[in-house]
Amino acid sequence: MNNSELDAKLKAAREPALPTDYRNAFPQTVLKNLRPSPRERAREEKGKVRQPWLPRLAWGMATAACILIAFAIGHWHGLAEAKAGKDALANTEFIQETLAMFPNRVRAIVQDERGVNLVLSDQETVPTSTPIYVRICDGKNCSSLVTFSGQEIQIAGQKLTVLSQPDGGIILEGNKFVWSSSERIYAGNHLKIEAKNLGTAAM
Amino acid sequence: MGDTDEQQTWIAQSRNGDPAAFAALIRAYQPMIHSLTYRMTGSLADCQDLAQETFIHAHQQLDSFNGTSKFSSWLYRIAVNACLDWRRREARRSQLHDSWSRNRAVESTEVDGREALDDLSREVQAALMKLPDKQRAAIALTVYGGHNHAEAAKILGCSETTISWRIFSARRKLKKLLSKKGDRHE
Repeated sequence: MNNSELDAKLKAAREPALPTDYRNAFPQTVLKNLRPSPRERAREEKGKVRQPWLPRLAWGMATAACILIAFAIGHWHGLAEAKAGKDALANTEFIQETLAMFPNRVRAIVQDERGVNLVLSDQETVPTSTPIYVRICDGKNCSSLVTFSGQEIQIAGQKLTVLSQPDGGIILEGNKFVWSSSERIYAGNHLKIEAKNLGTAAM
Repeated sequence: MGDTDEQQTWIAQSRNGDPAAFAALIRAYQPMIHSLTYRMTGSLADCQDLAQETFIHAHQQLDSFNGTSKFSSWLYRIAVNACLDWRRREARRSQLHDSWSRNRAVESTEVDGREALDDLSREVQAALMKLPDKQRAAIALTVYGGHNHAEAAKILGCSETTISWRIFSARRKLKKLLSKKGDRHE
């Protein structure tokens, strides 16, 4: 047998045919088993390393602030329980301490049948102004709150905006009513409303 | 197979992590790689595993392909190395039953391939399996892959003289083995 005859014999030998399904699925099978190439790994690592530190620092500080606030709220609840009487919001000292504990964050201190609750802003954005006391009775229950002009508060099932006028008057604007302390305009028919400025003594 | 512009684009895109481009490369080269891995192992199951291993290695090493050789040659080299590693692993595993396992590997293609190969095909593959691995690789690349000695030498990472010697030795053994078989069947 010479080389040409041998080559002819070798080439005449068939290989088993691969099933069509296998052939068609083969690229996807390989892709499924691929690990990230060194370049892709390096790119991923780079992404991780270059992650900006500023957002992480911000997150860290925000988390710390949340923890502090949670701690302060816990402390405040203790204070509220100690001072809560029939009308805790008449207690100027309690209001002062609360405002000092959460500077520019207190949107309202609400007292209703569930007790005394604090409505806080997530940022220190509440402007410093004279606190306003509001009491609303709907015939069954009474709710009272201390808040500031411009705050929108949910009370006695009503969402209302509390506004202070330059002359010291107070306007409450709800979804279905408007109430003014000075002009006696009132569009609500079953609510008994009382509102007053607490003055600088409560700050 | 030369590297066309399209294939070069697939290579570049695969480097950038585009799976569709790498799938296109696999589709283009899978017949060539399956053929080589079958000739090197004589087993359809092992041939499939090694073809997969080849493409996975290729993906891992894609950055090392510098384009000075053809992509097919570079891929062949990975496949041959995968097959030689496989043989070493197999040899360690079945050192005592080496020849038995080689024969078994060829016979198992009937089951693996769900197709009985004709006598000549089985005899040729059985004869190939009796060659030392590096001689079988040289025959697979030159006779079945269509590479000349210089290209085969590049793929196998040895000198052209070494390849020529391996091919000469392999031919001598194959002629003996296949002449006997041929005589018996005639």
